Amino acid sequence: MNAVEKRERHFMETILTSEARGGDFAALTGRSFAPVAASPVFVAAKNTILPTNGLADEPIHGTTVIAVKYKDGVINVGDRRATGGMAIMYDKAEKVLPLDDFTLMAISGSFSKAMEITRYLRHSFRYYERSQLQPMSLDGKLSELGKVISGNQMAAMQGIGLVIPILSTFDAEAQEGRIFFYDGGGARFETAEFGAAGSGSTQIRGVFEYIQRTQGAFREMERDEALKQALLLLEIAADLDAATGGAGKVLPLAKTITKDGIADVEEDVLRGMVRELVGRDPLLVGAKGY
Amino acid sequence: MAYNLYDWNQSLQQRNEYVEDRLKDGSPIVAVSFEDGILLLTLRSAQQRKIFDIYDRVIMGALGKQSDIESVRLAAIDNTHKEGFERSPDDVSLQRLVGFALSPAIKRLYNDQTTIPLTIRALFAEMGKTQADDHLFVLGYDGEFAIKKNGAVAAGTPFAETEAEKGLTEANPQTISDALKAAITAWGVGKATLAPTPEKKKNDYDRDEDEDDNKPVDPAQSIRDLLAAGGTVEAGILSRTTRRESKFRLLEAGEVEPLLTEYR
Repeated sequence: MNAVEKRERHFMETILTSEARGGDFAALTGRSFAPVAASPVFVAAKNTILPTNGLADEPIHGTTVIAVKYKDGVINVGDRRATGGMAIMYDKAEKVLPLDDFTLMAISGSFSKAMEITRYLRHSFRYYERSQLQPMSLDGKLSELGKVISGNQMAAMQGIGLVIPILSTFDAEAQEGRIFFYDGGGARFETAEFGAAGSGSTQIRGVFEYIQRTQGAFREMERDEALKQALLLLEIAADLDAATGGAGKVLPLAKTITKDGIADVEEDVLRGMVRELVGRDPLLVGAKGY
Repeated sequence: MAYNLYDWNQSLQQRNEYVEDRLKDGSPIVAVSFEDGILLLTLRSAQQRKIFDIYDRVIMGALGKQSDIESVRLAAIDNTHKEGFERSPDDVSLQRLVGFALSPAIKRLYNDQTTIPLTIRALFAEMGKTQADDHLFVLGYDGEFAIKKNGAVAAGTPFAETEAEKGLTEANPQTISDALKAAITAWGVGKATLAPTPEKKKNDYDRDEDEDDNKPVDPAQSIRDLLAAGGTVEAGILSRTTRRESKFRLLEAGEVEPLLTEYR
């Protein structure tokens, strides 16, 4: 059977049998992040570089991404710096990525692995929705991401390709924004008000608390107020963490999720806030204007 | 058993008749390419959806047997998602999907004398960067397909398609409301053209003797009839300018209703 015949046979079989695979994209592509049984390499790695908090202590790509709730949903902001070891590799990395109309993933850790996971999840969610004629449930999406992270655990333990994401979404049933974060093993936790990930996130943890106690809950804030606080947090992280880029060079990314879906914060609003915060306009202007 | 050319011809004809008989009462699907994107529209009496999202910039609508529509729809979704993931969403095109994946497979099924051919007539639409880059493909039960520009109709007979497409090309709609209007009108023309002709009615023994056989069916009347019987409009658009992640969405009843008042 030549290649053309093989391809035709494949589609004929698809058409003839028409067995929907329950919308399972991993089954379609054979690409899965399913956990691999412990191998000798894994055991060896476990004894030598297993870090105390489940994260690798090898230098990984640093960053800070922040998700905070506000009156109408959730805001995500992220710096634009990508690092490799001590070197700053790239100034325009996008770390706040839409997975579908109502789901944003803010990524920290290995950039290449995160992009791969994003690409996989985007296709996985949409494949399910398009083939099954109903969107994947929120819980289904959260599990899918958990599966991917736990499947990636072995590589992460060896110090390559650890990804810690924050997932933000708008819950249409509850009519409110929701924020989830994951540990390196794929367990998920829901947070009430805010979430942060990346090498700069630990330094600013107390600042979140301070803002809450002095300014009131994030979920009560107007969008611009919450955005201002998130940008301030990001700027503090940039000051305290070498792997987080400040707003002074390139505009940070800022996206919102509301009942109407995902939207970029208008550039002039963002620019105005950064000017107020840093005292000047960002030095670099990219192709998209920021 | 001897199998001669006559048998072969006869069997092909029987297969064609089998499928065409089942297609001819189907509700036409209309596609219109306009400035902001592409509209796919049909009117239906059942609850079953007929217009589907296939990939980021690809949608389809079809008439025929529901099970066959499902098979082709799933094959199209599998093919595009696999290609989009393993290569790039930019490499997913209708030329590749219909021309090299679906059409040869459907053709093979049609040629296979041991199976029943698919009962389907499908319309695929691909949205490009500008209206000039939009592509419309009409795919038949025998694997044959036609590539159209600006407007296309999939209906139960070739005559109904040509008649309905005439009006579409003349209308040349630019806005979504113009596109909706033109599509509904085209649907009416297609449906009315499918209605039994006077000659056919004469051969129909159940026919009411008092019926006026020479009166052609009014396109608007076929729309009115369906709406009066509780039918609904199903319309989906791919938008070039939307800020949403998904370019595709089904229009809500409220968005279509203003254009239906003249048929109520």
